Amino acid sequence: MAWPTILKHLIKSVVILAALAVAPLAAARDSVTLGLQLEPPGLDPTAEASAAIPAVVFPTVFEGLVHLGVGGTVAPLLATDWTVAPDGLTYTFHLRPGVRFQDGTGFDAETVKFSLERAIAPASTNPQKVALSHIDHVEVVDALTAAIHLKAPYGSLLQVLGWPAAVMVSPASAAGNVTHPVGTGPYAVAAWQRGNAVTLARNPAYWGPAPHLASVIYRFIADPAAATAALKAGDIQGFPAFPAPEAITALKADPRFTVDVAPSEGETLLALNNKRPPFDNVLVRRALSHAIDRQAVIQGAMFGYGAAIGSHYPPQNPGYVDLTGLYLHDVAKAKALLAEAGYPHGFTATLRVLPLPYAKRAAEIIAAQLAEAGVTVVLEDVEWATWISQVYGRHDYDMTIVAHVEPMDYDIYGRDDYYFGYSNPAYKALLATLDATVDETRRLAVLGDIQRTLANDAVNVFLFEYPYFGVWDTRLRDIWLPTPVQLVDLATARFDQAGPGGATGGLSGAGGIAWLLGLAAAGAVALAAAKAGPRYVAGRLAVLLLTALAASLGIFLVLQVIPGDPARVMMGMSADPAALAALRHQMGLDLPAPQRYLAWLAGLARGDFGLSYTYRVDVGTLMAERLAVTLPLTLYAVALSTGLAVVLGVTAALAAVRGRRGKLVKGNVVDALLGGIAQLLIAVPNFWAGTVLALVFAAGLHWFAAGGFPGWDAGFWPALKALTLPAVALAAPQAGILARVLRGELVDQMGQDYIRTARAKGLSLRQALLRHALPNACVPALTILGMQFSFLLAGGVIIENVFFLPGLGRLVFQAVAQRDLIVVQGVTVSLVFAVVIVTFLVDLANAAVDPRLTGGRRP
Amino acid sequence: MTVMITVEAATDGRRHSAALVAGLVLSGLVVGAALLSLAWTPYDPTAINVAGRLAAPSGAHWFGTDAYGRDVFSQVLAGAQSALAVALAAVGVGLGCGVPLGLLAAGRRGWVEEVAMRGSDIVFAFPALITAVLIAALCGPGAIDAIAAIGLFNIPVFAKVTRAAALGVWARDYTLAARLAGKGASRISLDHVLPNIAGLLLVQATIQLSLGIIADAGLSFVGLGTQAPRPSWGRMLADSQTLADLAPWLVLCPGLGVVAAVLGFNLLGEGLRAHLNPRRGA
Repeated sequence: MAWPTILKHLIKSVVILAALAVAPLAAARDSVTLGLQLEPPGLDPTAEASAAIPAVVFPTVFEGLVHLGVGGTVAPLLATDWTVAPDGLTYTFHLRPGVRFQDGTGFDAETVKFSLERAIAPASTNPQKVALSHIDHVEVVDALTAAIHLKAPYGSLLQVLGWPAAVMVSPASAAGNVTHPVGTGPYAVAAWQRGNAVTLARNPAYWGPAPHLASVIYRFIADPAAATAALKAGDIQGFPAFPAPEAITALKADPRFTVDVAPSEGETLLALNNKRPPFDNVLVRRALSHAIDRQAVIQGAMFGYGAAIGSHYPPQNPGYVDLTGLYLHDVAKAKALLAEAGYPHGFTATLRVLPLPYAKRAAEIIAAQLAEAGVTVVLEDVEWATWISQVYGRHDYDMTIVAHVEPMDYDIYGRDDYYFGYSNPAYKALLATLDATVDETRRLAVLGDIQRTLANDAVNVFLFEYPYFGVWDTRLRDIWLPTPVQLVDLATARFDQAGPGGATGGLSGAGGIAWLLGLAAAGAVALAAAKAGPRYVAGRLAVLLLTALAASLGIFLVLQVIPGDPARVMMGMSADPAALAALRHQMGLDLPAPQRYLAWLAGLARGDFGLSYTYRVDVGTLMAERLAVTLPLTLYAVALSTGLAVVLGVTAALAAVRGRRGKLVKGNVVDALLGGIAQLLIAVPNFWAGTVLALVFAAGLHWFAAGGFPGWDAGFWPALKALTLPAVALAAPQAGILARVLRGELVDQMGQDYIRTARAKGLSLRQALLRHALPNACVPALTILGMQFSFLLAGGVIIENVFFLPGLGRLVFQAVAQRDLIVVQGVTVSLVFAVVIVTFLVDLANAAVDPRLTGGRRP
Repeated sequence: MTVMITVEAATDGRRHSAALVAGLVLSGLVVGAALLSLAWTPYDPTAINVAGRLAAPSGAHWFGTDAYGRDVFSQVLAGAQSALAVALAAVGVGLGCGVPLGLLAAGRRGWVEEVAMRGSDIVFAFPALITAVLIAALCGPGAIDAIAAIGLFNIPVFAKVTRAAALGVWARDYTLAARLAGKGASRISLDHVLPNIAGLLLVQATIQLSLGIIADAGLSFVGLGTQAPRPSWGRMLADSQTLADLAPWLVLCPGLGVVAAVLGFNLLGEGLRAHLNPRRGA
């Protein structure tokens, strides 16, 4: 009776879903979403030091006169060619004609003069002001010729002009570049959602070849685990400077990704405050260098990726001198040096730790290693903004761990006001010699001396060269260019035409599902009304509506008291009060709470869930996209769980009944064994089952992917395959519960008189059980099944995280983190409605099967 | 018929005492591990030793070491402690709020009962994990968040169980006699109803304890439960995810801890229930 009906419904839903899902919806892919770990504080690379700024806008939005290529080679960009005067004091650049800024203003020699003289002006905050200050002035020779006059010969000028801090800016827009950058590059900034993403759009007026991709979205994902998850779920298609070295091995093995590992220009240092005792003593600094085991740090902090360095110089660059043998790991020597310096019992120092995984891991390891040498390290977490002002700005620190990513930045050791506090006249003399030297062999010799001086003085503890990991969707081509300053080239990046990407097929699928559910509900109501009486149905319906209303009010109230103003989260910490008020008005947040609740409720009644605060799209659309993953997963799990439970339950019940009648001695053993299996299934947490299944079937046997979702438009079977392991993990505990209920009911039913009658008519035990006892045992099983469906719908959240599925659960997680309250409200209320409606349907179905239930009070 | 029922009781009875024994052993093991970790663990569960990182299980490190070289066995022991603490506190919340509510509903009937039961239905309708996420947003992630979220869902469970059982006691002759003797509803609830349903509540508490352990593991798996550096099974599992193929013991050991605890308390509850009510065990 009941269970074949359910099964039919399930099969029907799956088939309709499949039909809807296979329908091709893929559009040609010309947009890419990339992950970045740090959100830039502003978007002007000439204003602040944060490496997060050029990661977004250089050379996508802003361009310099020259392009700095592999190994420090210089290529033309906005300058087509240049000449250097014999005295090395004047560089004359011929500029590319016809270049326009994105706001339409032209680019000419006046722009060059403005940009560079602005960078060295007294009020300038340019991060490379010291290097650029070798420039005395810029002369406008003619509209397309600019001459740079230096104060003294400076051999690195061309390289410096290739840095992000030396980009060309327009006098018309330079002041607003922090929030609304205007450059000459192939992309322009289209939108910046604070805390979430920056969207770049193709610049139609670009002077060079147009980039393949129409838009590029940078999403900011600070947490390495979340970064891995977003990649595997297909939320992002690439991650330059991927922050999780621990995941690299697994990503390399995954055919969906290409992984590039390259040495970078990032010297990772344990920076020491050379001005502050005891670090002003070179013996102490050398002791620290001996106390630290670089290989252990590389193993522990970087999972073995990264090359040890002995000075501030990248091993892959010409002129490198291997100085890693100068301070071998030697705790006894470190202690002896400390004693010699006057610290026989060590000392206590603080280590300021940035919220970066390599820094955090290295800090814990270094603290443990220094403790062995008698130095007590107090770890202190600092935010990036705090670090910039406190450590970098005010030099208020003992030790800190940071990677210096600027290429050829050994000159920082020659600056008196740099945060290392290092001052050595001999070193400054070496830098001056290098600047004055043109001969390449002699330059390399001087570079060697530079490295030796830094190592001898043990200015910092030189740890390792930070490896650069680029992880890309395999279909993304020509994006990776290993160059010193810029590794990602969006001008050439494109998607492989062979495969469409992204899960966009959700909408129609979800529409079909809604239609299907509505039909099922109407049918059930009609059936129940016919069987159990309209009064009963009306009563249940009233309870349903009241529950839904109370739940919606509850959700709304809870979200009102959650700390964190959505508008402020969107605008960032340095938001302008007027702009904030405008945004709050635009989002309707300035209305009184009761009015907002009623507006939201009225919207819900029309099926309008409102606009997402962060994505600025309809919440219903967002949910429908995610439901295309979550609902099939839930149905799949319910189907698996039911199938497994029926097999387990029926076998156990049959064995139990036979055992009792003495017909099968082993019956009780089988029954007990199956009971044990059911108990075990219940006790296994689904997310752990998921991890173990992935370990065995994905990592071990390679039968399935370890996670991710190809989207329904990749075809029905690949999508179903991606959902199989998660569905099994979800189904296992539910099957255990259902099997136990089913067995209990079956054993009860088999003791009833009607079974005896059936047996008397000549049916076998098995026939009697399957034909007569099973349908009757389905009433309580149906109740459990209904509960399980609602549980699974919301309970898949963790499984979605284990398998990186872009489902409803991940949406809620993100929305809560971004204070996108309207999304949280919408999803939660939908889930509650789903639970209430399913409960209602189950009640009706039970009433239809057994009209006696309508008479009595509900327990 | 009668013969069959006795046979059923006999066989099921043997099975349930086996369940009781297995439950006692497993949950005893978990409680023992938690108590032991208060006083002693083989290593400091938070001590880092990079040289010995990702070591496979051996005589020195029974369950191997993790990515920082921390001893996994010590962490599993200490993890038992935080899992039990959260689950017990959550059961406490459920008992403390749910039992009075259930007693009140059974004692007063009428609209009090209706409100209490509909309220329970509404709480049940909320997705548990999403509620936990919201609670975490409200008061920050941590053990308190886990206790509040799990405890909240324990309240209607205990309220419903208490009410159903209390109604049965109220129908008995001795409560009628007490009422005739002039005792008030709340006195009767405390003096007669509560002692009579205590066994049942104990069984439910054991089962909720096992559910609480699984829920706590889930919450700390997604970063909402016990926070670093305090060891917790869920977070150990979360940390091990990217290392699963390098160091499978990091996945297996904490997971087996969860399974042992959940299975143990489940079987214990099962066995206790059969003991209290031998005729209707299944």
